[in-house]
Amino acid sequence: MCINVLVANRGEIACRVLRACKEAGLGTVAVCAANDEGSLFTELADRVVMLQGDTIATTYLDQTQIIEAARSSGATAIHPGFGFLSERADFARAVADAGLIWIGPSPEAIEKMGDKMTARQTMRAAGVPVIPGEEVEEIDETAALEALRLAAERVGYPLLLKASSGGGGKGMRAVNDPADFEQAALGARREAVAAFGDGRIYIERLLSGSKHIEIQVLADAHGRTVHLGERECSVQRRHQKVFEEAPGPTMTPALREAMGSAAVAAAKAVNYVGAGTVEFLLATSGEFFFLEMNTRIQVEHPVTELVTGVDIVREQLRIAGGEAMSCGDLLIRGHAIEVRLYAEDAANGFLPAVGPLLVFRPPEGPGIRLDTGVREGDDVTPNYDPMLAKLIVWAPSRHEALQKMRRALDEFVVLGTTTNIRFLRELCDVPAVISGTTTTTTIDDEWPNGWSPATNEDLVAASLLTASAAESLGLHQRTKAGASSEAGEAPSPFQTITRRFP
Amino acid sequence: MQHRFVGTGDPVEVNLVKEGGAWTYEGQRLEQYGERLKVTLADGSVHLAHAAKTGDVWWVHLNGHTFRWERMEAGASTKAKDGGLTAPMPGKVLEVFVEVGQTVIAGEALMVLEAMKMEHRIVATSDGLVTAVHFKANDQVSQGAPLLSIEEIN
Repeated sequence: MCINVLVANRGEIACRVLRACKEAGLGTVAVCAANDEGSLFTELADRVVMLQGDTIATTYLDQTQIIEAARSSGATAIHPGFGFLSERADFARAVADAGLIWIGPSPEAIEKMGDKMTARQTMRAAGVPVIPGEEVEEIDETAALEALRLAAERVGYPLLLKASSGGGGKGMRAVNDPADFEQAALGARREAVAAFGDGRIYIERLLSGSKHIEIQVLADAHGRTVHLGERECSVQRRHQKVFEEAPGPTMTPALREAMGSAAVAAAKAVNYVGAGTVEFLLATSGEFFFLEMNTRIQVEHPVTELVTGVDIVREQLRIAGGEAMSCGDLLIRGHAIEVRLYAEDAANGFLPAVGPLLVFRPPEGPGIRLDTGVREGDDVTPNYDPMLAKLIVWAPSRHEALQKMRRALDEFVVLGTTTNIRFLRELCDVPAVISGTTTTTTIDDEWPNGWSPATNEDLVAASLLTASAAESLGLHQRTKAGASSEAGEAPSPFQTITRRFP
Repeated sequence: MQHRFVGTGDPVEVNLVKEGGAWTYEGQRLEQYGERLKVTLADGSVHLAHAAKTGDVWWVHLNGHTFRWERMEAGASTKAKDGGLTAPMPGKVLEVFVEVGQTVIAGEALMVLEAMKMEHRIVATSDGLVTAVHFKANDQVSQGAPLLSIEEIN
């Protein structure tokens, strides 16, 4: 059968999936909003369909337009990547109804897991432990707020407010003091409505000092469901993961077996088929609790790929095509760490940053993988998520993986846009990171008043020297002269943006 | 040769000295060789420097650190500091909590912006009196746009 895969996503994950399809010998189609024209991912596809519309809602979230793009381009399958429509059961259903293959779990499984409140109830029924808390079903804002306030009193402080349709830290608020409750609840609702069109909120007890451990699962349509071990993603800022690793530094074979079995049970409870991730909180007591199941490929999947040797995206394609998964028994080898490079000002409350990528020079060498959707010369705009790249390293041991990550981050040159590279580099020196005893509050514990870079006077002086000398040498004018000497020819993108040196 | 830059703090005057083929400043040394810039720090370690300019800003990468230096024309005055609060990035105003004439205390939430699908709270940096509010809910703001003016109360 001739399969052509349309990737209903953009940026880094679109690149990852398009490349996997190419490797598998499948045809590829990219969809692209006007403000993404010329992006790296559009160059990796056999065909590109432009989406009409000015907002995310009218482009990457427009189900009708994307299915029409699949029809018109001859695509026979849709891979949703992560974010956007990846966890929308109605989209999965519409794709199937259009006679296309949906590369993901069934709409029923997405529904049961995607609505966080239903998921908690399903897991309770399947005997998987969930965090103590309460679901509130009221839709009307006033009624919901009142019900939430009462539930909060029963659950107790500190607590977490979470959007039932949430993810990625959106629509989530930690509340320590009842006095802050109303404003936090309103903010969470508003963010949830804006991001997901669903303002329903539930409450969980905030288990501070916990670790965030997740289990990758794979299930095929031939009745096999396996887990690929854990990822530890405790280090988070504003509930967004920044540092992920596999295996978990404090994991034991017995706990892996227990959590793996719980994850497999969770997947089986919803007749799951495809790749998915079951997230758990591992409390200081050693108990673990179901957080949620992500019914899609995850941002941090590469660390699992590097230690298990399983190409998860290839397995997704295989499973969606009705084949049995190809991976054998679980074998974990060495250690992998991923950091997420964001265009953001870590020294200023992690505010997103924008600007040109005048220089974008990733590190190289053995054991280094870079998953990115940008390259030198691109602009970072406020239109989408500010994640620029994922830098992943593999080494025989955790100690060596951290050493490699430090070296790789030191080599990574990004100029023109503020990034969190230095923050990530300093993170590698935090005692809890070195010892593997990180928790979800590690960043706040280490930098209670916010992070600012540790520099030394010599380096600051040398950077001023470099800027001054570069100015005096006229390095910024170098390419202007080059471009004018070739007047009449279309300027190469490498020349028009090269106010860079070397 | 003299240059003036501003980073996150006060402006810095850099007096470049050229000795032979190298530039020096405060014990640090820079040489150009071919297409590259080589920096020798005061401690003797040698590093390749990367530099790129956009607008008036020089970005420099050196030994794992990235610096952002805005170049100021010689003699230019430093930017006046008023009590204004500016948009940290382009986005949309979601909510305004204060009105002209209202007194606020340091840390008080003044406005909520939405950018990149996340909410950002603009808070008062000092106690003061709101003398102007430049935007209302649903307005689009560009990066650096003054959002409100606050007159400090001591």
